[in-house]
Amino acid sequence: MQKLYSKRARDYNSDDDDEPSPVGRNRNEQSYSRNEVRDVKSSDEEEEEPLNDDMENEMSEDEDGEIQPGITKFIEGCNAFRTAFKKITKTNISDDLLGPVLSAHQKLLAEKLAEEETERKVRGEAKKEKHLIGEKGHVKPANFLDSHEKFLIGVATKGVVKLFNAVNKAQNAQKGLNPSRSKDAKVIRKRRKEAFFSELGKTSSQTAETLTKAGTSRGTVGGEGPAWAPLRDGYMLTNPKLKDWDKMQDTTVENEVGRMSSDSSSDDD
Amino acid sequence: MARFRNNKKKAFVKPIMKKQPSVDHITGDKIPKSFVFSRGKMPGSLRQLQMDLRKLMLPYTALKLKEKRRNNIKDFLNIAGPMGVTHFLILSKTETAPYLRVARTPQGPTLTFKIQEYSLAVDVAHSQVRPRCPKDLFKNPPLIVLSGFGTGEQHLKLTTIMFQNIFPAIDINTVKLSSCERIVLLNYNKETKLIDFRHYSIRLQPVGVSRRIRKFVQNHQVPDLRSLQDVSDFVTKAGYGSESEADDEAATVTVPSDLGRVNRASTKSAVKLQEIGPRMTLQLMKVEEGLCSGGVIFSESDHGKQKTQETEVEEKEEEEVMAED
Repeated sequence: MQKLYSKRARDYNSDDDDEPSPVGRNRNEQSYSRNEVRDVKSSDEEEEEPLNDDMENEMSEDEDGEIQPGITKFIEGCNAFRTAFKKITKTNISDDLLGPVLSAHQKLLAEKLAEEETERKVRGEAKKEKHLIGEKGHVKPANFLDSHEKFLIGVATKGVVKLFNAVNKAQNAQKGLNPSRSKDAKVIRKRRKEAFFSELGKTSSQTAETLTKAGTSRGTVGGEGPAWAPLRDGYMLTNPKLKDWDKMQDTTVENEVGRMSSDSSSDDD
Repeated sequence: MARFRNNKKKAFVKPIMKKQPSVDHITGDKIPKSFVFSRGKMPGSLRQLQMDLRKLMLPYTALKLKEKRRNNIKDFLNIAGPMGVTHFLILSKTETAPYLRVARTPQGPTLTFKIQEYSLAVDVAHSQVRPRCPKDLFKNPPLIVLSGFGTGEQHLKLTTIMFQNIFPAIDINTVKLSSCERIVLLNYNKETKLIDFRHYSIRLQPVGVSRRIRKFVQNHQVPDLRSLQDVSDFVTKAGYGSESEADDEAATVTVPSDLGRVNRASTKSAVKLQEIGPRMTLQLMKVEEGLCSGGVIFSESDHGKQKTQETEVEEKEEEEVMAED
């Protein structure tokens, strides 16, 4: 069993075991050659080191007596490492997209990257599409007022003016009267009615009719003829609260209030 | 399974308002209230549109209505009763376009509009040089102006009534003009059958006063008199008159009572409207009897083929597009 284990261990470590010795030997040789080279070069900073090296070499030699071929001396290995490292740092890496990768993996990595790229593109497109669907119908208005907008503003202004004028007339009529006093209240009621009808103009009865119809329009189906004439040009409806004028009329005639309002509300439901 | 236990639970909605009256204290009319919410998953711009619509419906709406995906219309309906909510504005979205449904609670009818185009309030504000938003712009309900709906068709009349009732009624005799600050315009185009939905702010400006003096009164800032020889020049010298300053007679009103510092009673004032958004172009697609259910009273697709509306009531066709809930 132990044999087996040891064998396995050897197998496992075989890479490590085998390599160090040749590498060490190589390094040894390299370091030797480097030493020679360095001596030739004799740069400023390295001048001191050979001395040390020599000293320590002597020391180690004292210990071992002679240099064994398979073992790299610590100092020499260090020097070799240093030079190797320097060499590595000096080399400029090609500006490859993948960076320094083992050549075996280069193809795989490239494939993977390309795949990711396409995937991202597809996802981005899908997202863009989704965004477009979500934004469907969303329009940014122009900085200027085009004719259509101007027309709309005009219509709205007309409506506002009409309402304000009506309010003005109605509220001017009741000026100076105290609604809490019963005598004044009667006058107010009468004036309100007059003001209301005068504001509505000549077609007072007709409009009242159409208004009530507007209130009950859901109940009656297709029963309107000429009565709808004022509505047809859309003019009366430009006023925001035609319906409320109707209601206002209701409040003046108190007997009808309950019935009318209940009627209209039930119709609206 | 614990996750699904409270499926039956009612939707949690914060109490909307601190004792908002359900009845107008002057006229005694019932104040309509509304919920604006959306069904299904919404992209960001539509969520923003929903928020804009809520602001538009202020003050009688739930501005911070929380909704979850598992809330269905019944949930909203359940709380609508106690809160006195009378109208639902429901946004939804299909592949083709976003839709807006306007419904009366609890029985309907429901109008389904296809939103052909829309712009958010932000977009509108971006398009303007000086977007205007006074502090209490949204404190009062807007006025509503309906234009071009008087063609006598049933569905248009229904639309008119629906939108008239969605905002509180105004009593001419008691209303304060200072509370009329916003206006919602719905303009029906007969040719294209599209409804333009716009939202403006109302501003009153005194007429017949030079711009300088108006600004002086409004801003209360010390004017720059360096270039003038005399103080009287400030009053007499006319400033630049731009084209928009020239007021047409049609847009002037007489204010019955003082409106702010500038608009005094019994002086002429010009009505200026500035858009605040959102802006929508709607197409009426369908009218249903019930709340998002029931018989189809009007359908745009049918309407092209057969004009008789009586038969349409009998036909109970459900468009599959909106057949959820």
